[in-house]
Amino acid sequence: MTNAIEIQRLCYRAGRTFEIKDLDLHVPQGAIYGFLGPNGCGKTTTIRLMLGLLRPLAGRIELLGSAVPRDVASILARVGFVPEQPHLDPMLTVRETLAFHAAFYPTWDRPWAERLRAQFELPDDQLFGRLSKGQKGKLMMLVALAQRPELLVLDEPTDGLDPVVRRDVLSALLEYVSQRQATVFISSHLVHELERFCDWIGVMDDGRLIIEVPMERLKNGIKRLRIGGTPATADNAPFVLLAREPANGSGETWLVREWEPHMATYFDGPGVSLHEVIDLDLEEGFVELLRTFRGPRA
Amino acid sequence: MFRVILYSQWKWSRLIVLLGSVAGFALPLISVHGAARADSSPLQAPELLHAVQSWGVLYPVLAATLGLLVAMASWTPDHRGRHVYALVLPVPRWRYVLLRFGAGALLLAAPITAVLVGALAVLVAFAVFFAVSAGTARTAGIVLALIGGVMLVQVITNVARVDLDLVGKLQLLVLNWPGPLAIFTGRWMLIDV
Repeated sequence: MTNAIEIQRLCYRAGRTFEIKDLDLHVPQGAIYGFLGPNGCGKTTTIRLMLGLLRPLAGRIELLGSAVPRDVASILARVGFVPEQPHLDPMLTVRETLAFHAAFYPTWDRPWAERLRAQFELPDDQLFGRLSKGQKGKLMMLVALAQRPELLVLDEPTDGLDPVVRRDVLSALLEYVSQRQATVFISSHLVHELERFCDWIGVMDDGRLIIEVPMERLKNGIKRLRIGGTPATADNAPFVLLAREPANGSGETWLVREWEPHMATYFDGPGVSLHEVIDLDLEEGFVELLRTFRGPRA
Repeated sequence: MFRVILYSQWKWSRLIVLLGSVAGFALPLISVHGAARADSSPLQAPELLHAVQSWGVLYPVLAATLGLLVAMASWTPDHRGRHVYALVLPVPRWRYVLLRFGAGALLLAAPITAVLVGALAVLVAFAVFFAVSAGTARTAGIVLALIGGVMLVQVITNVARVDLDLVGKLQLLVLNWPGPLAIFTGRWMLIDV
């Protein structure tokens, strides 16, 4: 499978404290890739590097098979982008905003743009600066979709929107993806939102990618195990041990990922027993992943 | 592409362009007006030239102000959006910069033309003045014929008891600001050459 986004050993530094170091990221063609991470972890910076808005110190970025920043102008003709903030021209009306962007994108689909405008109930003659936050969010998604892009890069597109608007925006997005088989790279810290429709997930913290796996594997593979006894090590474990803590009494609680039911036999040894396997939802898994990642460094 | 860039810049610059155009048109006229003497006595040519010249410093000031404001307005939509949408448009950056520059330059054409028109008005004023002062028989004849024609119409309408103050209306319309011949209301018509 080819990758719509391929990032290798990407390095970037902003100021003294923030750094992206040796970032590797792979987004398969046709995937809906959720890019999770807490605020300030480097998600937006990574997106800006991907789109050529920032220059990396080192590393390689390829979008749709072409190198960034070398071929960025031709790449951007095939990429729809929704930024984190409403950055459109506040002096243009909705109609003028659409006309402005239509002039730059050869693949702009006017009838569909008009249909989406009506579906989103966006007033034609209203200045962008006077639209509500929800309307701005809808218009930015409209602008990105009407280009009929092969790749959609969405930086927290529903952040701060009410549930109704969020549903409208995401419905339009999913409708487009199902029609066009486009790739979507969506950054968010709203874990439940991504859980609904992403098929890949990447988790970032402090400028580093902690994990990049198919969504199902992450959802089903992260477990909390209640263990009787205290195993000395977990060196040969068939799963990845993220954290271990003493539990009440004599046992321990382990947080593991890549867990599968047959691995319970690992605890069949003397003095150790597996008492319980607890499912974690994605949000709990996400929090535990971050906690584990930060723990040894703290 | 250029059309939409031009339009977006027009929306940010239109007030500057309109005020600049008015200023550009008015400046040459005001400079001639300023030459008038309070006592309505005839002006000498050096006096007129000096008066016009004293306003000359405002031309570069106007040009610099307009250039500065239009340049700022050209980038305002992008600055407001922190250049995010501008930089993700699928055009090379040098081309985008040229589009913005070209649109700004085209918008400046309006005040530039206005200054030229204003300057032309000064030249026209000078030309008419010189023609009248030179007082060739032909020029005097044409001017007198025009004035005579208007007077004749006025007399005829008066005789016919038609309520029409043609002379008064023409005078107000043509000679009062912003009438096209308002520049001729300056006292420079009395310059001795």
